[in-house]
Amino acid sequence: MNVLFTVVFAASAAALLFRDAAAFLPALLAGAGKAVALGLQLAAVWAVWLGFLRVAEDAGLLGAVSRGLRPLTRRLLHTENEAALSQAAVNLSANLLGMGGAATPAGAAAMRHLGGDGNARGRAMLFVIGCAGVQIFPSTVISLRAAAGAADPYDVYLPILLASLCALALGVGAVLLAYAIKRKKGRGA
Amino acid sequence: MIFAVFVPLLFLAVFLAAAVRRVKVYDSFASGAAGVLPLLKSLFPYIAAVLVLAELFEASGLSSLLAEALSPAFGALGIPKEIARLVLIKPFSGSGALSVVSELFSEYGADSYIGRCASVVYASGETVFYLSAVYFAGSGKKKPVLPVVIALVSNLAAIVLGCLFCRVL
Repeated sequence: MNVLFTVVFAASAAALLFRDAAAFLPALLAGAGKAVALGLQLAAVWAVWLGFLRVAEDAGLLGAVSRGLRPLTRRLLHTENEAALSQAAVNLSANLLGMGGAATPAGAAAMRHLGGDGNARGRAMLFVIGCAGVQIFPSTVISLRAAAGAADPYDVYLPILLASLCALALGVGAVLLAYAIKRKKGRGA
Repeated sequence: MIFAVFVPLLFLAVFLAAAVRRVKVYDSFASGAAGVLPLLKSLFPYIAAVLVLAELFEASGLSSLLAEALSPAFGALGIPKEIARLVLIKPFSGSGALSVVSELFSEYGADSYIGRCASVVYASGETVFYLSAVYFAGSGKKKPVLPVVIALVSNLAAIVLGCLFCRVL
């Protein structure tokens, strides 16, 4: 990430130097401004969902969800860490329901727990599953299609579902394969 | 709309269940919301760095140049060249991708092949670099190169297949 950041930054800055040097600082400030706006937006979303999740946790409902998903999460993440498993269960179910706001803080918490255990494969798995973006109902794009006057806003439902399931299958397969190879190499060395 | 009532029903069910089990709902909600500040504190620096870079990249004209250069490659994969810009912006910014989708809708129509492909590109797969910033934030030494590459490749494959599905389904 450090290399990528430096290379892209340097290339963009050099290009801008020739095109419009005066636009350099405004672009940086605009980016930082967007970060502040996004931060505020995220703080609002997280305040709602973290509050909600704590209520669900105190009521013992989160425990029930995490126990229900346990066979799945344990196998996927290769961990017995209770805290990681329950946050991962919240992350997976919220993602599936299209509640990204609830999914992200739970995902970040699960990643921290997995990181504490040095569980690189589990972290990669949770991240790749999140990136596939499988949703029972892709509400944002369907509302946008309806607003744009599509004859049938729902006619992309099947292609979307199939495409994200493909991303999920490929990603999970690739993680299993990549970390199996890594482990073998580690043993050989 | 069934899905519009889902979220309020979920909140209602959880809060009522909590009340029945004698949870102090107000205190509990507040203590959960208190978790926002430390979370934001640990994530904001990375969000700022990524968005500053993205803005500079866009302003330098390199991003449209890259989209231009890659459009033949996208064409070979069966991705219409009109949505190359969307495919490139998608891993970096969800809101950026959404604004491109709505531009494409108004230009080509939501029911056109391009509009349908754009819908699939937007909805299948998450903003990989944003998620990697949030998920791997502050984890120090271990760089998440391998997971990011896997996610990008499988999402690209999903886009190629999604454009194919749009033609046959």
